[in-house]
Amino acid sequence: MAAAASARCLGVRCRLPLPLTSRRASPLGRARSCRFYSGSATLPKGEGADVTGIEVVIPKRKTWDKVAVLQALASTVNRDTTAAPYAFQDDPYLIPTSSVESRSFLLAKKSGENAAKFIINLHPKYFQKDIAEPHIPCLMPECFEPQIEDISEAALQERIKLKKVKASVDMFDQLLQAGTTVSLETTNSLLDLLCYYGDQEPPADYHFQQSEKSEELEEASEENTEKPKKKAGQQLGATWRAKNNAERIFALMPEKNAHSYYTMIRGMVKHRAPVQALNLYTELLNNRLHADVYTFNSLIEATAMMNEKYEEKWNNMLELLKQMAMQKVKPNLQTFNTILKCLRRFYAFGKLPALQTLREMKALGIEPSLATYHYIIQLFYQHESPSKGSSLVIYDIMNELMGKKFSPQDPDDDMFFQSAMRVCSSLKDLELAYQVHGLLNTGDNWKFIGPSHRRNFYYSKFFSLLCLMEQIDITLKWYKDLIPSVFFPHSQALIDLLRALDVANRLEVIPQIWKDSKEYGHTFRSNLKEEILMLMARDQHPPELQVAFADCAADIKSTYESQDARQTAPDWPAGSLNCIAVLFLRAGRAQEAWKMLGLFKKHNKIPRNELLNEFMDNAKASNSPAQAIEIVRLASAFSLPVCEGLAQRVMTDFAISQEQKEALGHLTASASDSDSDSSSDSDGDINEGK
Amino acid sequence: MAASMCSRGLGPWVLSRSHALPCAWRALHVSAACAKNRAARVRVGKGDKPVTYEEAHAPHHIAHRKGWLSLHTGLLLGSALWFPLRYGNLDGQDHAAERTVEDVFLRKFVLGTFPGCLADQLVLKRRANQVEVCALVLRQLPAHKLYFLVGYSEALLSHFYKCPVRMHLQTVPSKVVYKYI
Repeated sequence: MAAAASARCLGVRCRLPLPLTSRRASPLGRARSCRFYSGSATLPKGEGADVTGIEVVIPKRKTWDKVAVLQALASTVNRDTTAAPYAFQDDPYLIPTSSVESRSFLLAKKSGENAAKFIINLHPKYFQKDIAEPHIPCLMPECFEPQIEDISEAALQERIKLKKVKASVDMFDQLLQAGTTVSLETTNSLLDLLCYYGDQEPPADYHFQQSEKSEELEEASEENTEKPKKKAGQQLGATWRAKNNAERIFALMPEKNAHSYYTMIRGMVKHRAPVQALNLYTELLNNRLHADVYTFNSLIEATAMMNEKYEEKWNNMLELLKQMAMQKVKPNLQTFNTILKCLRRFYAFGKLPALQTLREMKALGIEPSLATYHYIIQLFYQHESPSKGSSLVIYDIMNELMGKKFSPQDPDDDMFFQSAMRVCSSLKDLELAYQVHGLLNTGDNWKFIGPSHRRNFYYSKFFSLLCLMEQIDITLKWYKDLIPSVFFPHSQALIDLLRALDVANRLEVIPQIWKDSKEYGHTFRSNLKEEILMLMARDQHPPELQVAFADCAADIKSTYESQDARQTAPDWPAGSLNCIAVLFLRAGRAQEAWKMLGLFKKHNKIPRNELLNEFMDNAKASNSPAQAIEIVRLASAFSLPVCEGLAQRVMTDFAISQEQKEALGHLTASASDSDSDSSSDSDGDINEGK
Repeated sequence: MAASMCSRGLGPWVLSRSHALPCAWRALHVSAACAKNRAARVRVGKGDKPVTYEEAHAPHHIAHRKGWLSLHTGLLLGSALWFPLRYGNLDGQDHAAERTVEDVFLRKFVLGTFPGCLADQLVLKRRANQVEVCALVLRQLPAHKLYFLVGYSEALLSHFYKCPVRMHLQTVPSKVVYKYI
C-alpha cells in the first residue's frame, strides 16, 4: 500500500514507468533528479512480496568544503614529470639544475621576503591603508615594540606577549619594588616565557637557525643516533643555569599553583637540568599536587638523561608510569613517543621494552603515529649489518601501515620514510620499497617526506635499489619519472644506473644518460665520465652505435679540454685517454684518434697494449706502413715491452722499404737496450739485416 | 593624460559682467603640451634605433596588432559585485582610474627594483583579487639575485595592496628587437 503510493509519487516525479524491482532500491532523494535509475545492487532482489514494511531512508544532506570543486579537479591531474616544482619561475635560466641550486634559490626568495617584512615593519605608516574586506591580518605591518610605558601589570603582559625576556623580567622586578602584587596568571605566563627560552632572548632569526642546525645533524650522520643527540644537546637552546631568573622568580612567588611547577619542570628538562626537575617533582608531590600528562612526559625524558645504567633508567621510567596511573593521569601519544625516543639510546636492551610499550599503546587505544614507527625502526635496525640476522619487524610495520592516512601529530613524523627506505635499501628488498613508496603516495602522506635533503636521501636510496633489483625497462621509466622533477641524482646514482644498463645489455642508452648528466651539473665529475667511457669502449658494437659512442666521447673530450683551460696542471685519467682513442678508432675517425695518441705524451700517460694493437689493425686496414712505424716509434718512446711484438708484426704484415726497416731496427734496438733478454738476438738480427 | 589647466581667475569676473554669454573665454595652459598624435610612439630616426614590437606600434594598433599591457575589468559595469574583497563599495563605477594609478605605481616600483634588467614594459593582469606581474627580464643578474628580488617585490606589494601579488619572469639574453627605425 505504502509502496504503491510511493510508486505513484515516484512515477509522478519521474514521469517514467518504473519496474517493480527497482522500487525498493532507490531512496526518495534520488528521484528528484528525473533520471531513470536502476536498483542498487546491494539490496537483495529476492524479497518479492515484502513491499509494505519498507523504510525509505533519506540520506543526510552532504555538506561540501568550500574548495571541494577545486580538490576534485586537482585529483584528476597528476604530477607533471617534465616541469620543475612550482616554487621556481618557469624559465630555463631560472630553473635549478642541482639540489644545491634549488636550495639556494628558495633561500634567496625567502630572504627577499624577510627583507620586505623588515622594510614594512620599519615604515608601518605606508602600509596602514586597509582596502581588503574582510580584513587580512597577515598583510598588515607588525609592531614589535611595546606601547605601554608605565609600570603596570598590563605593561608586563604586553612585554610577555612580545616575547621580550629581559624587558619583562625588568618590568616584573620594578613592579615588585613598587610593591604591587602581580597576579598568579601573569607570573605563570612570565615563568612560561622564561622556561621556554631558557632565560635568554629568542634569537632574531629563530626559524632559520633551527632548520639549519637540524639539517646539519641529518647530513652528518643518518644512521648513528647517538651523535646527533649530543650535538642537539649542545646546540639547541641554552643550559639551565642555577639561580637564574626563572628560579629566582619562582622562589619569590607568594603562592604557587600546579601550573608554576609544571612550567618549571618542563623548562628544566628542556634545558638539560634533570636533577633539579626531579627534585621539583618531589616538591610538587609534597605539596599534595598532581602532575599533568605533559609534565610526566618531561619527567620521563629527565629520567633518561640521568647518568645511570639502562636497567635502572627503565625501572625509574616504569616507576613514573605507575605514579601516573595512581594520580589518574591518562597518557597520550607523546608519552609513548618520549619513552620510545629514550629507549633508542639503550641499544639492544631497549628492544623488549619498546615492544612492550607498543603493546601498551594498542591496549590503551592510542593510535601510533609515524614517529612511533620511526623510533622502532631506528631501535631495531641501528647498525647496518644484515649478516647479524636483522629482525623482521619492518615487514610487520609495513603490513600494519598499508593504506593508512596520517595527520601530523609529532615533530618527528617526517623522519619515518627516510628510515624506512634506509632499511629497505640495506635489506635489498624491492617489494618492501614499493610498499613504502605506496604508503607515501596514499592520501596526504606525501607531506611527511620532510625537507629537501631528506627527500633527496629517500629518493636516492629508492632509485639505487631500483637500479640494482628491477628490470631495466621499469627502471628507465622510474628514471624519467623521478629525475629531475623530484630529485637531482648524485653521480653515484647515475653510476648505478649505468651498471644496471650494462647488466641488461642496453648500452645504447648511454649517450642519453651523458646528455642528462650534463644538465644535472655532473659535467666535471671524473668518476662518472670514466665509467661511461669504460662501458662504451669495452666491446665492439654495430656501426651506428659506434658512431653515437664516438660523438659522446668527443663531447666528453671537450669537457676535459675546458677543464684543462681552467686548471694549470692538465690531468686526464689514463683510462679516459685510452677509451676515447679506441672509440674514435672504431667509429672510423682516424685523424682524431691519432691526435689522441699525441696527447698521451703530453699528459704523461701510458697507452695500453690493446690500444696499440687496435691501432696496428687500423693501420693494416688502411694499408699505411708509415702509420705502423709511427706506432712502433710511440711504443719505443714509452719503452713498452710490447714494442718487440709490434715491430715483428710490422715486418711480417707490411710491405716496407729498406729505410723503414732500418728505422724499425733502430727503434727496436733502442727499446731493447733496457730489455736484457732479447737484446742479443735482436742485435744479431739487425746486424745481419744491415 | 594631457591635462590643460585653465586658470579661471578671469572667468567669473567676465561672466558676472555678461550673463547671457556662453563660456567663451580664453584659457591659459600652464602645463607642457602633450599632443595626442605623439603619444606612445617612438620617433623615426636614421635606421639605427632598435625598437621592440611593443614600441614599434602606435596606440591605434592596440587590438589590431598588439594587445593591452594592463588587463582588468574596471570598465565593466558592476565588476565590483563579484570581488567585493578589494572594492569597498559595490557600485562598479570608476574603478578604472584606481587600477590605472596602481598600475603606474607597480611599473615604477618594478622598474626601480630590477635595475637595468627589464627588457620590455610590464604586463599586468588582474585575476579575481590577485595581481599578476609578468616581466621580461634580461639575464644581467645571477639567478639567485633575481629570486631575491622576486620574493622581495611580491611580499612588499602584497602588503601594500592587501592582495596576493605574483611575479612571473621570463628571461631573454638581450632586448628583443623587432626592427630598426
